[in-house]
Formats: sequence, C-alpha cells, structure tokens
Amino acid sequence: MLKPKMPVRLNAAEETLIAQLTGAGDSAQAERLSVTGLPTRRVESYHYTDLKMLLKSVPPLVGAANTASAPALRLAGAYRLLIANGEPQASATAPAGVIVGSSDGAALSVHDDVLVRLNTAFAKKSLSLTLEGTVDPIIQIDRRTEGTAAHSASSARIFVADDSSATILETYSGSDEAHLTNNASYIAVGRNAQVTHITVDLSSDGVTHFATNEYVLAEGAKLRTLAIHAGSALARTQIFAKFAGEGAHADIAGLNLVDDGQHLDFTLDVNHAVPNTTSQEVFKQVGRGRSKAVFQGKIVVARDAQKTDAKMMMQGLMLSDQAEILSKPELEIYADDVVCGHGSTCGELDADSMFYLMSRGISRAEAETMLVRGFLKEVLDPIEDAELNEALTAVVDDWLVGGK
Amino acid sequence: MTNPILEIRNLHARIEDREILKGVNLAIPAGELHAVMGRNGSGKSTLSYVLAGKEDYEITEGEVLLDGVDLLGMEPNERAAAGLFLAFQYPIEIPGVATMTFLKAAMNAQRKSRGEGEISTPDFMRAVKEAGASLNIDASMLKRPLNVGFSGGEKKRAEVLQMALLAPKMCILDETDSGLDIDALQVVSKGVNALRSEQRSMLVITHYQRLLNHIVPDVVHVFSDGRIVESGDKSLALQLEAKGYADFDSEPA
Repeated sequence: MLKPKMPVRLNAAEETLIAQLTGAGDSAQAERLSVTGLPTRRVESYHYTDLKMLLKSVPPLVGAANTASAPALRLAGAYRLLIANGEPQASATAPAGVIVGSSDGAALSVHDDVLVRLNTAFAKKSLSLTLEGTVDPIIQIDRRTEGTAAHSASSARIFVADDSSATILETYSGSDEAHLTNNASYIAVGRNAQVTHITVDLSSDGVTHFATNEYVLAEGAKLRTLAIHAGSALARTQIFAKFAGEGAHADIAGLNLVDDGQHLDFTLDVNHAVPNTTSQEVFKQVGRGRSKAVFQGKIVVARDAQKTDAKMMMQGLMLSDQAEILSKPELEIYADDVVCGHGSTCGELDADSMFYLMSRGISRAEAETMLVRGFLKEVLDPIEDAELNEALTAVVDDWLVGGK
Repeated sequence: MTNPILEIRNLHARIEDREILKGVNLAIPAGELHAVMGRNGSGKSTLSYVLAGKEDYEITEGEVLLDGVDLLGMEPNERAAAGLFLAFQYPIEIPGVATMTFLKAAMNAQRKSRGEGEISTPDFMRAVKEAGASLNIDASMLKRPLNVGFSGGEKKRAEVLQMALLAPKMCILDETDSGLDIDALQVVSKGVNALRSEQRSMLVITHYQRLLNHIVPDVVHVFSDGRIVESGDKSLALQLEAKGYADFDSEPA
C-alpha cells in the first residue's frame, strides 16, 4: 500500500535557494526543490557528499563585479578570458582561429542533477568560444567571484571545430569570502579534433565550489582532461563525458588535494554510447589533516558500443590518520565485446622509501614532499606544454609545502 | 688514544617481542675499517638498521655514539647530517623520484645542516660526473627514477656514488657484495677503497669472506645471536671461511 510521502523539512540553504529561484522567475525549479530538497546521502550520486547536510547556507545572488582580484594563475603566453561574477567580460583581440562571443542562457545539456539544474536556472549568460585550426596560445578562462560573499553561476560553451586542436585552462578564484559558485563548461570536440582541458580550483578557504564539465566527443576526437582541486571548503567537480562518434579517445584525470577541514568530490560519468571508443581515467587523491576526499566514477557502455576499451583507476594517499579517502568506481556494461576495468587503491607513504630518503639526510617533510610529488607525476607528466606543466606543478608544490 | 668515530655500548634492540641485538659492544677508531661477519639471521642487518635509525626497532638498552654524540635520539636524517651513511643491502626503488633530483636534495639537505648554501647546478653536475666516472655510472643510469630498473650491480654502484657525494665520516656497508658478479664486485670495492681515509671509518657487514679480499679490513668481528663473540685481524675471516660459524656459536644457556 502506498503511503503518502512526508514533505521534506527544508533547511536554511534550501529556503534561500527556493527564494532565489522564485526571484529569478523559475517557479518550476523552486517548486521542485521545495518538494525534493537538496540531495542527501540516500541519493546514490551524492552518497558521499550529502548536500543537505554540507550546505549550511547560501549567500545572496551575486551582483556585478566592482572590484577585481588577481588571476589565480598567470601564463605568459595564454589568451585570457575573464568571467567575473558570472558575467563574461570584454577581452583583448582574439588570436587566429578563436571566435569569442556570449549567448543568453546556460550551456549544459539536461541532466537529472541538482547542480546542473541550479546552474541552468541562474547562469544568465554563457561565454561562447569557437576554436578553429591549430589554436596556438593556451586559452585561459579565468572565472572569479568578486566582492562580498555571493552565490554566483557561470557558464561557458566551447566548440572545437573538426580537425582542430586547442588547450584550454580554466581557473576559479576570487575575493576571500564564503562564496557559493556553480560553474559549467560544455565542450564539444569535433571530428578528429584534439583538445586538452584543464580546470583548477584555487578558490579561497571558505568557498563552496561546484563545477560541471560536460564533454561530447565526435568521431576520431581526442580529449585529455585534468581537473585539480586545490582550494575551497567544499568542492565538487562533475565530469560528464559522452562518446558520440567512433574512434574517439579520452584521457580523463583528476587530482584531489584535500587539506584539514575540506570536503572535495570528483564525480565522473563516462558514457561510451557508440562502438570503438576508448577511455582511460586516472584519479589521484591526497588527504591531509581531518579531511574528506571523494571519488565516484561511473563508466557506462551502451548496448551497441562494442569494442569499447575503458580503464579507470583511483589511487589515494593518506598523509594523516584522520584523512578519509572514499572511492566508488562503477561499471555499467550493456555490450558484450568490451574491455573494461577499474581499480582502486589507498595507502600511506611507503615507510621504507621514507627511511631511505631520510637516511640520506633529507628531512621528513621534504621526503614526504618528494614522495607525494612522485605519486602525482603520472597525472601531471602528460601535460606537454612546458609553461602549463610548470604552473600546475607549482599549484601542487604550493599545496605540499603550504598546508593550512 | 683518540675517541672512536663510532662507539656502540651494550646495545639491545627488539622488533615486536623478539630480541635481536643482545648486547653489542664495538668501537671503531678513525680511519679504520671493521668487518662484521655472521650467518644469515644473526642480527647483522638489524645492527645496520638500528644504527641508521629505522623505526621498526625498539632500543631497550645501551647507547651509540658517533664522534662522541649520542645517535639514538636522532631522526635518520639527523644521523646522516651527523656523518653516518648506510649503504643498503637492498636499495629502495622509488618510482616518481628522479635520481638526480634525489642526489641534489640529499646533498643540499646536508649542506643546509652544516649552515652552507645550496650547491650550484654546475658544481653539482661536475661532482656527480666525477664521482660517477670511476664507478662506471653513466648519464643514462642517472636519468632513471631512483633505483628503478637498476640491476643489482647498478644499485650497489649507486649506493657508493651517494657515499662519495655525501662524504660521511662513518660508512656502514650492509651486504654490499650480495647480488654482485665478480666484475661488479671489483668496481664497487674499488669505489669503497677510494673513499677510505684517515678521517673516515667504515663498518662492512657481510657473511662471505669474498668481499674482504677486495676490501681488506683492519679488524674482523664475528657476530652470532645478536652480539659480537670474537674479534681479530683479517685472518679471522679466513678462519671462518674454512671452518664455518659453528665454532663461534654461543654456548647453550
């Protein structure tokens, strides 16, 4: 017998979000949220990141940016595009092969996911980029939330034309306030195009950072991604990749650098929808202090997607007894002629290696740094551009020597 | 008589519930090379690990002085800075750490502890090249991650290279001959002999006399059941080789 469902008890964060949705004219989403509430751990895809519990409050919706912080990462050769408080800003003359514009509305496809729905409701404008030919400079999308604590949504839609190649770096930072930012990137990789897409969260200590990176790969496309969490109090990057054309390949990587008091989550959904596509997922998580690192990775192979080859790996490294590293790899395979695998390992620094390094005079702290750097090499080494590789290595090194 | 470089007094150590060192006494004066010989499982390697500061062991009694300074309260890196060097029986492979990066970090760590600045890259390269040449260590070996994919001989040569670069006053060589063919043994021995000096002492741990033909000791100690049971000159090693260790086993309690 069906029991009438009890209405959810709404908390302060949910009430604010509902009011903000109503104010933005999205009564449908407001209504939906007031019925469902934010996802709890009973929702599978939020099992380790119970938003209802973790999101204590939501700051007011963002206004225009009146002040400016510095870019979180500076690359001398990059073509930099700024999105401040969700609003794409005017940029310098675009280099050859780059068309910059903006469009109304958000960029993500429809997903049954609250962060996607909220981004779609609040992102009023998307930065739009078309990349054609061999795009030489690195394209940096510099997203910042400025001013007092604010709820900000930003969006970018990127098309990489057939047979083209480009490297895109996205950074997230801003003023030192407890912002809630919800960022979206939709990247369509054309036939035989080659794209490297890197996202680095360098938000300040109190920030709640959400990002959804959606990829669609056409025939023969090659994609390399690397997402780095090196900031915020609570962060979740969702990576949705869809193989829409045969012969496409993706290397999808993530680096979760989690310090005391932080809860940082990577949630991955790779969809091999057509035959003959390959992917390799490598996620590394390092936890320090009392912290929580989360990886959820799901690979779906459709019934027709024969000859799919997909391998997913999560490796965790605990630098303290109170660091928690959670991992949930999933394979959902409907085809019968595929090679799919996943692995998940977790451990501490190897005591024999520590002893060996220290026996040569290297201090405990430096030996630790050397070993962690070695552990992370696998995800940083494939970034071929020397300047970019150096900048990302510096992000890791800052984290390693900095601490909180 | 001057103070010994290394002095071990009544050293007892255990791992979990098992006592392995049962009262080791040993003094090595400056410039001397002593050999400790004993059968497998007699506690020789434990002695080397305890001296270098490996965490797994609990010291229950005794003391160890390096140049008059108490070693046992120090972290492994502090012992290295004080001048102790252990050439490992099984050097650890560390993927992800480049050999050159490691060598430079080790040299700089020790310079820092002496209050010196970092070594310049050209000086560092020159030092590695010079020390590597006599050990047949070429650039390709140095380009690999630390000890990864090194043959037995390469690993031991790399240990001696580190020893040469770090210039310790007390070297402990743990089973340096294990895993070496005769050619490699000669190269390694030559490297070790080149480092012998009036200011430097060495402790060579081995269970074969073979190594001591190449690295000739001033004093030989026989190690059995966690302590030194006999000491003598190099002829003691030959005696052991001929008769085995049985004569030196401790009396039943």
